[in-house]
Amino acid sequence: MKLKLTWLMTLFMAFVMQLSFAQEKTVTGTVTSATDGLPLPGVSVIVKGTSRGVQTDFDGNYSIKASTGETLVFTFIGMRKSEKKIGQSSIVNLAMAEDVAALETVVITGYAGATNSSKVTSAIATVSAEAIEQIPINSIDQLLQGQAAGVNVSTGSGQPGQSATVIIRGRSSLNGDIEPLFIIDGVPVDQDNFRSLNQNDIETMSVLKDAAATAVYGNRGSGGVILITTKTGKKGSGIKVQYRSLYGVAINPQTRFDVMNASQFLTFQRDLLPGTQYGDGLSDATIAAIAGQTNTNWEDVFFRQAKTKSHEVTITTGGEQATSFTSVNYYEQEGITIGSDLRRFSFRNNFNVNSADNKLNFSTNLTMNYSVSSFVVDAARGGNTGGQLDNPFIVPYIGLPYLSPYNPDGSINIYGTGPVSGGGSGAFNADGSINADGANGFQNTPFIALNTAAVNTDTESELKIVGRIAADYNFAKNLTVGTSFGLDYTNVESLFINTPSSIRGLITPNPGSELKGSQSESFFRDVNMITNAFVRYDNDITDKLNLNAAVFAEYNYNNRQNAGFFASGLNPALPGSGSGFAPGDLTEGDDNDVYNYIPGVFSSESELALASVFATLAIDYDGRFGFGASIRRDGTSRFVENRDGVFWSVSGRWNIDNEAFMENVDWVSTLKLRGSYGVVGNQTVGSRYQGLQTVNAGSGYQNTNSYALGTLIDPAIQWETSNQANIGLSFGFWQNRLSGELDVYNNNTTDLFQSQPLSAAGTGITAVQANVGDMTNQGVDLQISYNILRKSDSNPWDITLNANGNYNKNEVNSLPGEFTGNTLRNQEGRAAQTWFLPRWAGVNPANGEPLYLDIDGNITNVYDPNNAVYLDKNFDPTYTGGFGADIRYKGFSLNALFAFQADRWKNNSSLAISEDSGLAGFANQSVTMLNAWTTPGQVTAIPALSNGGLRAIDGDRYLEDASFLRLRNVSLSYNVDRKVLEQTKVFTGVRVFVQATNLLTWTKFRGFDPEGTNATTFFDFPVPRTFTLGFDLTF
Amino acid sequence: MKKYLSILTITVAALFVGCSDSLDRFPVDQLVEETAFVTVADLQLGLNGAIGNYSPNQLVAFNSIFTDNAGLGVDNGGQELNTLNQIINADGGDRGLWFTRYGAMNDFNRLFVSASNITPATAEQEQYNNILAQAHAFRALMHYELLLYYGVDMTDPSSAGVPYVDYVSATATPARNTTGEVLVAIQADLDAALSLFPSGFSDINFATPDFITFLRARIALETGDNSGAIGFTNTIIANYPLANATDYLAMFREDANSVEVIWRYDAVQGSNLLDTDSSLNGIWNFTGPGPFIEMSTELANTFSPSDIRGIVNIDPVSTPEEDIYIIGKYPINADTQAINDFKAMRVSEAYLIRAEAYAKTSQFGLAADDVFAVRSIRDGAAALPSYPNIQFALIDILAERRLELAFEGHRYTDIKRMRSVLNTGIERDDADCGGAIPCSVPFNSEKFTFPIPTLEINANANITQAPGY
Repeated sequence: MKLKLTWLMTLFMAFVMQLSFAQEKTVTGTVTSATDGLPLPGVSVIVKGTSRGVQTDFDGNYSIKASTGETLVFTFIGMRKSEKKIGQSSIVNLAMAEDVAALETVVITGYAGATNSSKVTSAIATVSAEAIEQIPINSIDQLLQGQAAGVNVSTGSGQPGQSATVIIRGRSSLNGDIEPLFIIDGVPVDQDNFRSLNQNDIETMSVLKDAAATAVYGNRGSGGVILITTKTGKKGSGIKVQYRSLYGVAINPQTRFDVMNASQFLTFQRDLLPGTQYGDGLSDATIAAIAGQTNTNWEDVFFRQAKTKSHEVTITTGGEQATSFTSVNYYEQEGITIGSDLRRFSFRNNFNVNSADNKLNFSTNLTMNYSVSSFVVDAARGGNTGGQLDNPFIVPYIGLPYLSPYNPDGSINIYGTGPVSGGGSGAFNADGSINADGANGFQNTPFIALNTAAVNTDTESELKIVGRIAADYNFAKNLTVGTSFGLDYTNVESLFINTPSSIRGLITPNPGSELKGSQSESFFRDVNMITNAFVRYDNDITDKLNLNAAVFAEYNYNNRQNAGFFASGLNPALPGSGSGFAPGDLTEGDDNDVYNYIPGVFSSESELALASVFATLAIDYDGRFGFGASIRRDGTSRFVENRDGVFWSVSGRWNIDNEAFMENVDWVSTLKLRGSYGVVGNQTVGSRYQGLQTVNAGSGYQNTNSYALGTLIDPAIQWETSNQANIGLSFGFWQNRLSGELDVYNNNTTDLFQSQPLSAAGTGITAVQANVGDMTNQGVDLQISYNILRKSDSNPWDITLNANGNYNKNEVNSLPGEFTGNTLRNQEGRAAQTWFLPRWAGVNPANGEPLYLDIDGNITNVYDPNNAVYLDKNFDPTYTGGFGADIRYKGFSLNALFAFQADRWKNNSSLAISEDSGLAGFANQSVTMLNAWTTPGQVTAIPALSNGGLRAIDGDRYLEDASFLRLRNVSLSYNVDRKVLEQTKVFTGVRVFVQATNLLTWTKFRGFDPEGTNATTFFDFPVPRTFTLGFDLTF
Repeated sequence: MKKYLSILTITVAALFVGCSDSLDRFPVDQLVEETAFVTVADLQLGLNGAIGNYSPNQLVAFNSIFTDNAGLGVDNGGQELNTLNQIINADGGDRGLWFTRYGAMNDFNRLFVSASNITPATAEQEQYNNILAQAHAFRALMHYELLLYYGVDMTDPSSAGVPYVDYVSATATPARNTTGEVLVAIQADLDAALSLFPSGFSDINFATPDFITFLRARIALETGDNSGAIGFTNTIIANYPLANATDYLAMFREDANSVEVIWRYDAVQGSNLLDTDSSLNGIWNFTGPGPFIEMSTELANTFSPSDIRGIVNIDPVSTPEEDIYIIGKYPINADTQAINDFKAMRVSEAYLIRAEAYAKTSQFGLAADDVFAVRSIRDGAAALPSYPNIQFALIDILAERRLELAFEGHRYTDIKRMRSVLNTGIERDDADCGGAIPCSVPFNSEKFTFPIPTLEINANANITQAPGY
């Protein structure tokens, strides 16, 4: 098509230019692109002030008759107009620079697909492939951190592949889903599972933030929508093969607390700590001897240098009518502690074809992935709290420093040592026999964690398929029909084995059973199917008025099945096999009547269906004004009485830059005012059968089958409604060197899915979830980019600074009973997730007692929960965002991205444990405990140890500022010069890079990692620092 | 191209039409209330669930840990500190008794509603009646317990009691009934249960006619109806022997004897050691004897060496030389899974109820005989006590109840009931308190009446808070 056009133009120009006058000389030259040095065909070359002109040929060459002193004007779409005066030389070459101002970006807006950015009426942020490719973070949602204004991303664990929690423009729900809807190539996918997907396949991620963009997603859109578009080939680009690889090492983050060493700890136990413990009565010499022999910093034992590697081959093709993108990727990433890793194999094929007349389009997207994850017993895993003694991240806090991690032969000890009274870990009795209780006791914590990581199994193998087939046909003038079918298929097989000889195996199925160990497996399948059909009308009614309207029907069905078994009493010779399970009817005990090995089985299934019709309308007048509207009617199986909801939006824009009065205002390249208002819903509240009063079958008194009332429901339950207003300004000044978007929004969630307190006496239940309550998020999004230096003929430097930020103010407007929660509350008139605690006021220098403030702010020595006050500190950050730089010089480029969250408060229970003298008999403590009050007049932060463990009556003592600024990613890459590559005759592109991820974090939070997704941190798996190098070879 | 058009048109049309019927989705793993209870067998399943939602564990835990019977365990990592530190206020400290009792009450009340829609066949009549009898009996028991802990004064019929609930509602906000009203309703439930029991029903795992009599004896004692208490306990004592030392040891150490048990809450495999919510052992122990709560040193030292109860209560793995006394009443035992029934009503308690009732009616000789009956069968070295006055008698009866009913959910209510005569509250020994662990709850403390939980106050404008909170 393009070729045809070029020929036609050449012919046309040739015809026109036959009328020529001057005969001075023939000027020749080559026009190339300044960005990549490739020849530019079809550039119009005109002698200024005349009508003489030619076009460059395929090799960018031209030849024109002109006289010295005349000026040649070069113009080409998308390139900056350039003038060259003809001197003595009759050769005039030109490297044309891109006209950034004129190059309008394309934005993916949802059902309308790619839309010219000037025509967009809604608030959308776009993250491009370059920003996320080859970064060793294996979860798409995590990659959004710091990338877009108003998108708050937090990760709860450093397990490779861990899904993040994404909150767009503040928490929009208190008990329902708060995360956005994720859609990959038109298929809604599980928002909490991306570990099997290859992020290098992504072309763009569009974050849809206001109702104008999300209302078309109806009762799933209130938390925003993230549209992920994967790569395709470009027509006419031929075949391109690329090999990419990545190698890296991850290490633990900086430790922001100090625990005692062996000598400090034993001396502390002896001299300061009341009660009876190992350190008592040890002489200085003995302590020195013990500490001289063993002084373990358990952090060194549990953290490792974790390897990452990735190999990927992609093949992109582009013919006249068909394009394709294929990728095959192997990815392997270890967690920073033993036993945590992810291995993944990903495959993708995207294929597009259209008929010769361009009327029929057909496309398929298919990705099939298999991943195997191994887990440790971290705080985010399953129903864990973090306090599990096999959590590796509890050990650096409480592992006793006088215990050696090594056996006498130098190997790692994974069972523990002798009796506690002799300075051991309690795993073995004095006679050398194993002590099952001691082995599972506090002192043995480091060995329990090592043991579980070393010999027990906790894995998930996942098959994940996301695919879609779509076709549309322009069957009549202005009319197109289309249909699509999409699938998100997830199959997870979980395997959990407590090996008979493991420490946990010793007490499994129970301490007295003769056979030990247990195995459970489960098979989980989640299938989400979506089918869609539409009719679209698109017409330029006049040459100024364009109208685009479409009507859609959609059906979404989800089926989830989960089944599994639990067996115990394993034969160690048959690990992992059912042949090794003890028979369920095996009896033991004195009377041979005790059943220790009764296996367990389970099977469950649930469904969710959503049927919808919706319509969109877009009107453009003269490129100056635009109007958009959408309406969607969703019916959901989740609710019964109130099944159908209607969601809608209206939006408009004024492209000020296209007005006649702006014609001479050269410094303004882009100026667009946008506004929208709409109503979006959130149906992801409660269970999948929230509209039905259920009765649960289960086991009751004497283990008999039983029926019991399920969760009490409100039969009138329905979706949450979010009423969203947005006003935005898109701007670009000085050839878009300074560009950005400023948006202010006001989102009001009504019908919050919220506990309606009930009288337990009157109803038997404390609360029913109902649509009560009202909450507002108001805020500002600013996204700005400044191109300080722009590459040109004379300047090899290109420097762009960019920044984005969000200020969000959340307020709970109304709640039944005014508040919910205990210490972390949602309270009317305050932001959600606000802390409510009694205030800690330090230590009384006179007697070492802990002091508090009472409700009036007076000092008291009595802890009383009734003295709790609102602290004006919230878990959700008020400010989030990111900033960075993109610096290019010749083949080099340096990219940096910083991410931040500010005004965010978390309860640091990990630290509280290490300052709890009640635990100091058997757990290591923070070095701060050495400053415990001992003498009247002593000013210290640590109360006298005679007060015992104070963790239950700490108040806000450990409420810490968890704001952070993080150097999220920094990379330096080098693209080998094209001329060099030409010599090789093999490569068309070679890029090498070095990169550091999460390299630096600035925070006041005292722990490994301020991030996390829990308001109370309790031995979380921290996000690692990762160093990688890699290269991309294009053939 | 026509064929593409027709394919697409058909697809679009099919989609528009096909979707709307597919939104009626019913749970696969659950029943829907309207269709769950159809037969008597369904009702039986409902009864199993409702009794399963009654748990004695909260009372055992509270009465043990809040009082002078327990102390901080050697393996304590923060567990149970609120109860040990005697923190009780509207936001917590009652161990959720209000919610679990009224929650189970709702299950029984729903059972009545479901039963009213079912007409049993003749062959099912007895089962149907027994289901209703159990429901009446448990409803009475739970109202009694609520009244005992949350009621302002058991002995004053006009005082504020607790809401008496015999209905199913999704919106009710009941006020406190008076103590007298609740007691009348309890007696009505007990009468109804008696009239419905199948003749000769005597399964001690369930409510039986003797269960009713025993509960009436407890109520009579608490409400000051001493002659009633004597009358009801006479019936019980006539029917059940006291366990001898062998039987006693088997009863607790191996969960294998029930000669003196009138009612037990039956624990079976599943409600075992590994399930800390339902295991009595799990209240104070980790897996295996790793105590976060121990027996108080004071109590441990109170058991005479020849007292079989000391041998049972102080677990053999204890190390007295280190002051580590592990509570052994609900041990791992031979099944290795710590499956222990809760022996909720034992005849020895009936003796001590009668002793107290005798003492309160100044029949000190009879009171001493009853105390001695229990004391001597537990400890061969015991001597017959004699009581010069009521204070002496009650002090001795309280002490005997402490030993006989240790860790069985009585200590707090015993102190509460007798404090009006004895003027003593909860007094811990110096060996068991200090620092954050308080040593004393004065006899006139508000902590002897449970506060109405904040959640109830917030949801129920008609309820009134207990004095002092």
